[in-house]
Amino acid sequence: MSVHGCQHLSAFKAAKGTDPFRIIYSYFIACPSADARRIKAKSCVCHTCRQPTLRLHACMYCIYFGCYGAKHIHEHAKSKKHNLAIDLTYGTVICFSCEDYVYDKDLEDIARSFSQKPSLNLVSEYLKDPFSSWEPSEDELQLLKKNPKRRKVDAKSTVGLRGLINLGNTCFMNCIVQALTHTPILRDFFLADRHTCQMPGESKQCLVCEMARLFQEFYSGICTPHIPYKLLHLVWTNARHLAGYEQQDAHEFLIAALDVLHRHCKGTNGMSCSNPHLCNCIIDQIFTGGLQSDVTCKQCNNVSTTIDPIWDISLDLGPGPPAFSSHSTPSPGGTGFTNSPGNYEPTSLLECLKRFTRPEHLGSSAKIKCGKCHCYQESTKQLTMKKLPVVACFHLKRFEHSTGYHKKISTFVSFPDELDMTPFMSSSRNDNNGFSNQIIQDMPTSLSCDNKYSLFAVVNHCGTIEVGHYTCYIRLHKDQWFKCDDHMITKATITEVLNSEGYLLFYHKQILEYE
Amino acid sequence: MADLQERKIKDAQMRATINQKLVETGERERLKELLRTRLVECGWRDQLKAHCKDIVQQKGLEHVTVDDLVAEITPKGRALVPDNVKKELLQRIRTFLSQQSNI
Ligand SMILES: [Zn+2]
Ligand SMILES: [Zn+2]
Ligand SMILES: [Zn+2]
Ligand SMILES: [Zn+2]
Ligand SMILES: [Zn+2]
Ligand SMILES: [Zn+2]
Repeated sequence: MSVHGCQHLSAFKAAKGTDPFRIIYSYFIACPSADARRIKAKSCVCHTCRQPTLRLHACMYCIYFGCYGAKHIHEHAKSKKHNLAIDLTYGTVICFSCEDYVYDKDLEDIARSFSQKPSLNLVSEYLKDPFSSWEPSEDELQLLKKNPKRRKVDAKSTVGLRGLINLGNTCFMNCIVQALTHTPILRDFFLADRHTCQMPGESKQCLVCEMARLFQEFYSGICTPHIPYKLLHLVWTNARHLAGYEQQDAHEFLIAALDVLHRHCKGTNGMSCSNPHLCNCIIDQIFTGGLQSDVTCKQCNNVSTTIDPIWDISLDLGPGPPAFSSHSTPSPGGTGFTNSPGNYEPTSLLECLKRFTRPEHLGSSAKIKCGKCHCYQESTKQLTMKKLPVVACFHLKRFEHSTGYHKKISTFVSFPDELDMTPFMSSSRNDNNGFSNQIIQDMPTSLSCDNKYSLFAVVNHCGTIEVGHYTCYIRLHKDQWFKCDDHMITKATITEVLNSEGYLLFYHKQILEYE
Repeated sequence: MADLQERKIKDAQMRATINQKLVETGERERLKELLRTRLVECGWRDQLKAHCKDIVQQKGLEHVTVDDLVAEITPKGRALVPDNVKKELLQRIRTFLSQQSNI
């Protein structure tokens, strides 16, 4: 294998230049226009066997296409003494005298110039950032030479695991830090060094920069526990209500941290970031979903729809009305809500979600002005997911704060390691009676994986509302689980995770869409 | 026998037509890019790359041809493609074909 061309290719370039390559590349590989594609579709067959094969090669000397599999291009090269051909799939050049592909800088540059013209590039209509392999810059090459140590990450490596010292009741922060540092797409963002600081001169005050440093700490390979005092300090100065050494709520900390991160990112689309609909900062790209609220007037059936951005989904626990209005007939043999109305307690994440998205009758005390009848009417309200976030964070409301009492609900709520959100989408909503298909188990599992999620972190709270402790389960690689208890990290099983008393559940999308 | 022969010819014609459609519309490139992205996301690319590196290091750069590499990694590469990636691609191709009126 030669990385520096070969004498045959050099001789060819000296005699005919690079134009033959450029022409074949532009007409049969880059194919910028619809016309070019039509020509390609018609003409890309082996001239010997007439098959449109996968590895078709074009002779660089004459107009001949031959397939590689049945060696028709080899035969042509031999009989005509035309020893150079281009692979029409990848644009690489093969030399039949050297019996291998040869790599040539000039030709590679030509190929790159085609793929870099965005207007000509078909793929960019579909993907913002078509995949290209990493090529180190001069600076990066210098850095690599200066730091010769390499770390190989394989399925068994535990790089990324690091305990966090408890700074006095700061387990509420530690568990959120663990969940965030193990959010796959956030990790990719930070390890790829994608944050450009928007607080020049005071990057020490930037929480995003601090997160970047934290990722460096976590993935440095050092195993001793890390002391996150800088992070704590930054969150305290930016979210004053969390300051102080008392036990805080992990959910509140998560939302505060996301908010500070989002503010320090300041977006890059030039839009005001007070409107999260438009913010394209990394936090909003990952965590923002769209919650649709449909209010139907009972008098005229007029529906008014609003969509609000959300970073998490807070779900009620404890007794309440059943997931569906009483007049809906339960399907025979359905999973059934045997609990009598008003005394129904969800015991699984799915039931919580069903209750969350049920049509709710707003009684006579909560009349809403209808836009069509122009007067106050009773109405029905229903919430659904209009847009799913990349990372879905579910908050099981285990802490009840009412006037006079504070209570913790310790009911076991089961949750799956794979979750399909299709039934809770606005598109699954039937205009008149809520969901057309009310029993989720009866729904055909959607063929595509578009709305499917995988569990990757669970925050737990043990103890009472007064004295408690937060821990966190996180997933490493595809299926290895670890329990993070401040500075201690121990191996865990998925069964342990699924049997735990979850408080915050983190899921990530299985498949990412590209706009 | 004649039936079988006829079917083979028909299948080949169908394959050629589908291929032509995929190329003409640019769908083939989009599918390729989608597949590439999925294989990068799931770690397939890194796995195969590491495997290729091992082979090259074992035999020495001068003694390996692309054909050798292809022959050695193809079975492994095929086996390692996750099922859900195959399913997604198949689904996309189906959708594409159902939108083509004249096939
Ligand atoms: Zn052929
Ligand atoms: Zn020729
Ligand atoms: Zn040569
Ligand atoms: Zn910064
Ligand atoms: Zn933002
Ligand atoms: Zn009305």
